[in-house]
Amino acid sequence: MPKKPLEGLRVADFSWYGAGPIAGNTLSQFGAEVIRVESETRPDGLRRVHPFAMNPDGTFKTGYNVSGYFNNFNTGKLSIQLNLNVPKGQEVAYRLIEKCDVFLTNFTPRVIDKWNLRYEQISAVNPRIIAAYAPMQGLTGPHRDFLGFGAVLTPVTGISHMSGFPHRPPIGVGTNYPDYVINPGHTVTAILAALRYRNRTGKGQLIELPQIESVVNALGTAVVEYLVNGDNPGRMGNRSLNASPHGAFRCADDPESVGSVDRWVVIACRDDREWAAAAAALGHPEAAADPRFATFEARKANEDELEALIGSWVRDRKAEDVAAALQAAGVPAGVVQNAQDLLERDEHMRARGYYQYVEHPEAGREAHDGPAFRLSATPGSVPGPAPLLGEHTMEVCERIIGLSMDEVADLLAEGVLV
Amino acid sequence: MPDRALDGVRVIEFADETAAYCGRLLADLGAEVIKVEPPGGGRLRRARPFVRGHEGDPNASLAFWVHNTSKKSVVLDLETDEGRSLARKLALTADIVLEDCPVGYLAERGLGFDTLHAEKPSLVYTSVTGFGQDGPHAHWAYSDIVGQAMGGIMTLAGEPADPPNLIYGRQADISASIQAAQGTLMALLYAEATGEGQRVDVSAQEALSMAQETAMQTWDFQKRNRTRTGELGMLPIPLPATGVAKCKDGYVSLYILAPAGKDLPALVDWMREKGMQGPLDDEPYRTIVNQLNMAWLTQLMSNPAAAGEILQHLPVITKTILEFFATMSAREAYEEGQRRQLLIGIVSTPKDIAENAQLRARDWFVRIESPIGGTVEFPGPPYRLSETPAVISRPPRLGEHTDEILASLR
Repeated sequence: MPKKPLEGLRVADFSWYGAGPIAGNTLSQFGAEVIRVESETRPDGLRRVHPFAMNPDGTFKTGYNVSGYFNNFNTGKLSIQLNLNVPKGQEVAYRLIEKCDVFLTNFTPRVIDKWNLRYEQISAVNPRIIAAYAPMQGLTGPHRDFLGFGAVLTPVTGISHMSGFPHRPPIGVGTNYPDYVINPGHTVTAILAALRYRNRTGKGQLIELPQIESVVNALGTAVVEYLVNGDNPGRMGNRSLNASPHGAFRCADDPESVGSVDRWVVIACRDDREWAAAAAALGHPEAAADPRFATFEARKANEDELEALIGSWVRDRKAEDVAAALQAAGVPAGVVQNAQDLLERDEHMRARGYYQYVEHPEAGREAHDGPAFRLSATPGSVPGPAPLLGEHTMEVCERIIGLSMDEVADLLAEGVLV
Repeated sequence: MPDRALDGVRVIEFADETAAYCGRLLADLGAEVIKVEPPGGGRLRRARPFVRGHEGDPNASLAFWVHNTSKKSVVLDLETDEGRSLARKLALTADIVLEDCPVGYLAERGLGFDTLHAEKPSLVYTSVTGFGQDGPHAHWAYSDIVGQAMGGIMTLAGEPADPPNLIYGRQADISASIQAAQGTLMALLYAEATGEGQRVDVSAQEALSMAQETAMQTWDFQKRNRTRTGELGMLPIPLPATGVAKCKDGYVSLYILAPAGKDLPALVDWMREKGMQGPLDDEPYRTIVNQLNMAWLTQLMSNPAAAGEILQHLPVITKTILEFFATMSAREAYEEGQRRQLLIGIVSTPKDIAENAQLRARDWFVRIESPIGGTVEFPGPPYRLSETPAVISRPPRLGEHTDEILASLR
């Protein structure tokens, strides 16, 4: 078994929902010991939402431990139940933080204040701590306690205004999009940078990742267009300023695609050569020389017609065949895949073994997102199933925090470890 | 100048659209990132939009700017022996090589991982491509929309009657770069601890596939595909106080049935204060308003029939709520709603973001030099590190540092 790069790193994960726990999940996949602090008095909402694992009789399993949503983001973590609303719970939290290298949270400052987990408080306990706070809006400022999650950030940061078709209202992108890659990925990037600094100087530090700042930073040129040019751009559907055709085209339905039979191929032609290759690959080489479409400017000027024409070429063909023909001609193209495709039908995903399967004691065999980057000498992996709520309360108290069995018994009796 | 987290780290970057943002993250954190560009520059140098009046100027592409702050630029022609030889010398001065070329392109030019790593075992070599370094699609042509389609997120975005929607802002490229930054820093820490470098391989398709949200697990557990549902997202049916509401001057998005905020009665309290509660204090609406919460919703998702009798009354509740939001500005709806702990997000335009009260109060925007003269305001970094802040300086002009860097190689 090759070594993982973060072995020996211990993380106190005081986060919940998506953006925070996913950052912890990445650290866990690469060898860190991640301790998820939870409480049955206010469990992570993801433990209580779909999709739930199913029983053999077709009914849904129930309880806190069978949500695929939660389980996917918390692999291999330890779970301790701790009531942070009581002073003794906060004392246990400090003793845990003392034993950790990284502190992670995405609660609002209002809650952090209530739990006495501000940076000056936890760094007094552990001056070497790298403390990452990822609230929606930042730790200060007039909106610091605004609530939300990815789907609220999507409109607030401009994703909704800039995505989708202009004749539609700004409906967003169907998911809590920034929770999954942008915010956890920026958080881990900052934590690793801070680790390097600590390796060199011994000093910990405060990382503040206001999710709004993180997302706007990753949102293309829209805000810069306003700041530099005074323009206020809007959404343009699937079109691009730099490629034409550029969009999704409907192909023949696929009755085997469960509940999702409409099939679409995307095509991006970034220059005249790619357009000529695409037209030829789709059996209509004459279209490349058609004056309506021969140059980029002409294609942009006649884009409705161009899209209708390509739509007519592919409408009765299999999307996979269209994509393969275009790719054989060197044109960027691909099928708009659904989860069934990604898990079961995409030969490339399968060959690379992206999804990893683990056995969960309550949910059963589960698919997990594997590491999203591959390290040749020190690869990550899904380290094990997500913890049951409170599964490791005793272990964390005794082995990591160093409490005696009597102390743990008292805390249990006093309702601190709940 | 403050301490920099990546002080002393040198990155040689052979990147254009897909890995440039990774290089930018490293550069803003203090690494010396030297971007090797072909004569004339790559695709991003030619990408719209440009600074107005400077269309086509390789130093004036805003798309280039946002992915290339704080770097240096060297022009080398990898199609010539001399260019390849200089690039090789330069790459061997690096702690990190970062590239997004087609698979095999750099190896064919003597700049592949195996060759460079053999000569410099501590080297971290990060490759960011559409589909990764191996597998049946490794050589497929890639552009951002292909990553978003093949990675599964487009299928979840948009109205059912429309084509699947692309998410704005090169999100496959950005995701690949963000994943690459994490992998690169892990490999760097490992190399600094052990002297052992390695290859970091990132596939844009894999990089954003976690953003399918619950679609993957829904198939895994329930053999059901999530599809695009307009503004419903995961909701099984349209519900009051969820989705887009039109205000006097724009839109807000409502998520009031979602967990973490206050439930519907708190919205009705606000409506009542303005005399706009309509029939919602009367039965049957009053009981339903009190009933529509997360627990009810979870039950509904397991069994949509559970909505039962309630369904027929929902349109009146929705209509009353939409009429309320139509009377105020989007900013008032957002700020006052949030003060009441209601989950409401304003639908910001780019101008709204530039004027956002929170971002302004926190001095997030920075002022940088413009590569074509003068200074411009620019979005700040994604995070604030108290001891080693990210510092954004201007993107380089094409070939600006060629002489300086090449002189250092002699």
